[in-house]
Amino acid sequence: MCGTTEISAPDRASGSSPGTSRTVMKYIYRLVYIVMPAAIAMAFLYAPPAEGLGESSRLLYFHVPLAWVSVLAFSISGVLSVLFLFTGNGERRELVHAAHNSAAIGLLFTVLATFSGSVWSKLSWGAYWNWDPRQTSIIVLMLVYIAYFSLESALRENPSRQRIVSAYLVFAMVTVPFFVFVVPRIFPSLHPDPVINADRQVHLESAMKISLMTAIAAFTLLYGYILNLANRVSAINEQKKGDLR
Amino acid sequence: MVKTIIAHIKKDFRIEFRNRYAVSVSFSFAFTTTLAISLAAGGIPFSPQTHAVILWVIMFFTAMSGLAHIFVREEDRGTSLFLRLNSPALAVFTAKLLYNVLLFFVLQCMILPVYLFFMQLDVQSPLFFLGYVFLGGIALSSSLTILAAIVARAGARGALFPVISLPVSLPVLWVVIQGTSRSLGRAGFSSPGDMVFLLAFSGTITAVSYLLFEFVWHD
Amino acid sequence: MLRDISFSLSLPSSLAITGPNGSGKTTLLEIIAGIQRPTKGTVRLFRDDTELRRPWHHETGYVSPRLRLYDELTAQELIEFTCASRSTLRNRADEFLAMFGLTGHRKKMLSRYSSGMAQRLKCILAFISEPPILLLDEPGSNLDREGKEALFRYLESVRSERIIIIATNEKEEADFCGERISLG
Repeated sequence: MCGTTEISAPDRASGSSPGTSRTVMKYIYRLVYIVMPAAIAMAFLYAPPAEGLGESSRLLYFHVPLAWVSVLAFSISGVLSVLFLFTGNGERRELVHAAHNSAAIGLLFTVLATFSGSVWSKLSWGAYWNWDPRQTSIIVLMLVYIAYFSLESALRENPSRQRIVSAYLVFAMVTVPFFVFVVPRIFPSLHPDPVINADRQVHLESAMKISLMTAIAAFTLLYGYILNLANRVSAINEQKKGDLR
Repeated sequence: MVKTIIAHIKKDFRIEFRNRYAVSVSFSFAFTTTLAISLAAGGIPFSPQTHAVILWVIMFFTAMSGLAHIFVREEDRGTSLFLRLNSPALAVFTAKLLYNVLLFFVLQCMILPVYLFFMQLDVQSPLFFLGYVFLGGIALSSSLTILAAIVARAGARGALFPVISLPVSLPVLWVVIQGTSRSLGRAGFSSPGDMVFLLAFSGTITAVSYLLFEFVWHD
Repeated sequence: MLRDISFSLSLPSSLAITGPNGSGKTTLLEIIAGIQRPTKGTVRLFRDDTELRRPWHHETGYVSPRLRLYDELTAQELIEFTCASRSTLRNRADEFLAMFGLTGHRKKMLSRYSSGMAQRLKCILAFISEPPILLLDEPGSNLDREGKEALFRYLESVRSERIIIIATNEKEEADFCGERISLG
């Protein structure tokens, strides 16, 4: 049986310039400067008030995109964590920073979605909170985010922090499909499902549909814009740390 | 590999048997809590729904007090380094998973009679009641083992373990609480779909735990 | 902080890592053992040219003051556990216990072992599965003269078939090795 032990230092890493795709994304995110004001304008001026709910239905164009982005942020965080763990031998730190940033943004949007949802709930159904399945789902999402950040701060000094926290997020993600089975059993839904109609179909007037889609696009772009900024800050911090070593 | 896993199981059970820390602390917790509730209730009868909720809250927090021990002990005593050097992660996790499942099963067997006695519980569908209790126990203990490994690496464990466990345990808790309440209240209640759900949950979560354990265990 | 360390060893060889306290001797050994990740760089162990996954249980035996053992187990039980964990085929427990003078203490629980006896047991546990690479962090610490003699007698007997790396500040331990790296 023969064996060799070899230990070697790495080659000096050559600096990499941002690729074309990153520049393109930077400009796509900047579309938020146009799309967001358009969405707000459409929400208040273009879309008609819904039957029954009146002017308070305009909350729809904020609440739904906020909820959508909080789920999107969670999914992206989870996917990035999977990539971090299973590719690149755990060396690709930019992935875990991006996952963290996405989770932070997601938490903010979740809190905003909960607030806007509870205001709507009070206006439409008379109470701020009813444990309706959608409300329950958003609270569970918030619980996962809180657990993620608590775990991260409890692991402050641990060199394996990023791997452990990513593993937790992936684990939490796996339990999500089980909620789909469980949640409908809790209470019959008070939520307009899908939206604002007794028919169980997407039955919005076209003006409302367009406004909603624009709002969703605007908030998604906003999410991407903030995420991009946050990732760039993380990269700079990481580089500073590397220079100090 | 089988021999290795058996060696790990033997080691863990030997140490716990000589120590008996986990069982005694967890059971004391469950016992005290049940007594406190019975005392506070003062003989007022609870609805099946209330019983189900209280029973599972006691079980969940009993799990919180006992299921992290098997990993926390390794980190606190410093023996985790020895394990990492000598044992494949698969063997470590399998032994600790089996330990946790068995420990929780034993705890449930001890808690149930105490609860039935002090809370005057009347079970209408005993078969499904027991099914919910024990399958729910398996689902909980199997999903919490990897979280125990995670929490052992962190500080502030006492508070952290419930925080990270709750989101993951919620699907199980929702299903078992509803199911337990119905099996308590209704004679002839039957719900095989829930049993399948609990088994599917346990299986999936255990499989994912195996995939993720190496990332948690090794630096 | 370890920087720019690069070396290659092949069977058989012995290497001493010396340096003042805090220079990183233990860290370097842990990186080689696979229990710590280097911030940058690689460690490669080749066996028939296949690259192994960290940490490489079957390839290294590790002795260190940082290693803590199970107080509730006896030496016999620990040895059996280690052999089963590493899938060791030959049962040389009796031989090793005799070699390190622990035969009479094999059924005693570790809580009743002195630090010297515990160190001897650590040596036994590291050597018993006959790994090709031995990583010893201050192996002589806590050992009395007889213990040290037993240790070096064993190392001498296997010197021609193993890679032995010793991190130490003791002259006689460093002199045992054919090559030397000085840190710090």
